[in-house]
Amino acid sequence: MFYRLSGVYHTSYASDSRIFKVPADRNLAVFFLLFGLAAPFIVPSIYLNSYMLPWLIWTAAALGLNLVTGWAGQLHLGYAAVMAVGAYSAVHAARFGVPWEFALIIGGLASSVIGSLFAFAALRVKGLYLALTTLAMQFIMDWVLHHSPTVTGGSHASLQSPTLALLGQPITSDAGFYYVAFGWCVLVTIFMLNLKRTGLGRALVAVREKDYAAAILGVNSFYYKILAFAASSFIAGVSGALLVATFFFLATPEQFSVAVSIQALAMVIVGGLGSIIGSYFGVALILLVPGVINNLVAAIAHTLGAQVNVETLAHIPNAAYGALIVIILLIEPLGLGKLYGNIREYLMVWPFDQFRK
Amino acid sequence: MKIRQHIRSVAIAAALMTSAAVASAQDKEPIRFGYCLDISKSYSFISPQVAQAVQDLSIYTNDNGGIEGHPVEIIVRDHGNEPQRGVECYEQLKREGVFTFYFLSTPVTNAVLPRAMKDGTILMQSFAGRGDAVDGEVFEWVFPAGPTYWQQAANDVAFIKDQLGGDLSDAKIGFIYLDYPFGQEPIEILKTLAEKEGFALELYPVPLPGTDQSGAWSRVRRDQPDYVISWILAGGHVVASREMRRNRFPIDRYLSVNWMNEVDIRNIGEQEAKGILRGTNVAGGQDIPIVKAILDTYYANGKGSGPEANVRDVYYNMGLALHSVALEAARLGIQQHGAPLTPESMKAGYESIVDFDADGLMAPITITPSDHGGGGKTRVEQWDGETWVPLTDWSAEYTDIVWEVVKENSSKYEQ
Repeated sequence: MFYRLSGVYHTSYASDSRIFKVPADRNLAVFFLLFGLAAPFIVPSIYLNSYMLPWLIWTAAALGLNLVTGWAGQLHLGYAAVMAVGAYSAVHAARFGVPWEFALIIGGLASSVIGSLFAFAALRVKGLYLALTTLAMQFIMDWVLHHSPTVTGGSHASLQSPTLALLGQPITSDAGFYYVAFGWCVLVTIFMLNLKRTGLGRALVAVREKDYAAAILGVNSFYYKILAFAASSFIAGVSGALLVATFFFLATPEQFSVAVSIQALAMVIVGGLGSIIGSYFGVALILLVPGVINNLVAAIAHTLGAQVNVETLAHIPNAAYGALIVIILLIEPLGLGKLYGNIREYLMVWPFDQFRK
Repeated sequence: MKIRQHIRSVAIAAALMTSAAVASAQDKEPIRFGYCLDISKSYSFISPQVAQAVQDLSIYTNDNGGIEGHPVEIIVRDHGNEPQRGVECYEQLKREGVFTFYFLSTPVTNAVLPRAMKDGTILMQSFAGRGDAVDGEVFEWVFPAGPTYWQQAANDVAFIKDQLGGDLSDAKIGFIYLDYPFGQEPIEILKTLAEKEGFALELYPVPLPGTDQSGAWSRVRRDQPDYVISWILAGGHVVASREMRRNRFPIDRYLSVNWMNEVDIRNIGEQEAKGILRGTNVAGGQDIPIVKAILDTYYANGKGSGPEANVRDVYYNMGLALHSVALEAARLGIQQHGAPLTPESMKAGYESIVDFDADGLMAPITITPSDHGGGGKTRVEQWDGETWVPLTDWSAEYTDIVWEVVKENSSKYEQ
């Protein structure tokens, strides 16, 4: 009913490989695009700059991680380190006087170079071994950041980011920061949507499923693994740089620590490997829900007038949040993206679902 | 008869008037403080005590007339040491009209600092965050009332110099530290002082989280330093005490950073820890007027904001010190510029604090527009098996050298 299929049929390969085959999907996408554009005017600024903005940037980053983990099937536990490379390179470039547009690209490219080093590990080891190798690289990056004051900015290890300016316009307002994040997230999303229907995307999936089977089919797994790491690292680098430029305004090593890497991987796994809409959901769950539950519990305790110890009050949301993740993964091990997919599939033929049988 | 009636009516009128006056005092706008703390993750070894102290002191203040008649209201939230959630907490409370914040987490404080500087809100920063923020000329809105780690380390060296008879030329001082920015911070100042005073400085880095110190302490045994200054946290002290015993290093030559409390002492063993040293700017123990008052008024009647064990903890005193400085700033702000309190008058209040020691709770501080640290005085306390005994008086040494480092770092922020 909502996702009406009547009248949708494909007579050419071009139409069969469209991004949105069902009109409802396209309409939904357009609706959210318009909502995103109008958000600064309709969403209160607190939600705009402390919920939506980090959500969008982290979604872009999670999509990048999804490219290498979901599409190419390479576990990556050092994603935050790659983001750090991008953030520090971009901020240093901008401080040096390079315009931000180029600084962001420099950040992305620097990340690509370092991130591709991870790929060389991926050529030798797979699965859990690769996860540990990338984790080791994360620790190396942490160590480097903690021991190189010239990179991280003195003994306090915090590097002030210059004011973001794009196309000669300094960006200082909440709406401005939001649009930058929104633009980047839309760009990455379009890239990922298109990746699905290109030879590159199919090659990555082939490598994910079985790399030597892919080699037999003529897919050079060496090349595509490096490409996947490089592309995902580029996205990570620019996302990291934007996170600093539009949200934190200064870079510190803790923003890219091993905990953040694990969080990023959690976003992708809870959202669903290889799912684009899942990345949006996953980031929302991992990044925003703890704060939301926290406020919720505080509000409930306040209305009930309960004298709850601050410590208890802080731990209840953590327990609830942990339980939520377990429950979601029990209901649908393939993540939130698949959960959405199930609902969509159900609604496809609803209320005539007898026709499916 | 008539006179008695008259007296009675006057008494009733007076009673009514005073109650009206009290009511109007309570009607005054509350002064609100945002305490976004890390109660559930890395800093949870200290934040419950601090939160409890802040709550108790606020209740005590309100029960005693508030700040110039204004009640104190505090909002405590958890940010789980995640910069993103700290920013969210800041943005939310800012919109609710709070303009004085405390985060008790270096990553979160660093993440919020640019916003506070831009918005012109008061960022309390004692015990966490960047040290060069004491430079009030650069960090106008940041108030790290208390010593920097640099100043604390310098004071530690001065203490050692005093103990060794005023001469460090053939002394050897060890510095054991967690190998990340917190621990690395004092190295620069120690090196400068080593050059100036002529003592040998030995560095003993310990990898995070500080549970493996065996390598460092066997080097200590070989080097035989006169004192070891320690920039290690919480459980790390327990590991250190075990290693000291194994390597026959006397525990009364172990001078810890202010992050060592009764919980660590109990884990070491109250008697085994006898003699251990701790640099601090807040007096330890319960023999302090305000702590006694809170214990007698609330905890004796079961009306405290949390378990009494938390009160018998040096971190509780640190929470009291932190909050009392803020309350004093608010009081001075209202006195000078009248109600309602604004960020500007609060800042002015902070900058006119002179020789404030919260009645013996902490080192006296004098905050000026250029020095937001308040002088950086600390003292060394020793655990005598039951409580903390001060070995020295509050003092700040080598301040010119420390300020050179401060200026050098703060100038980098401006760039």
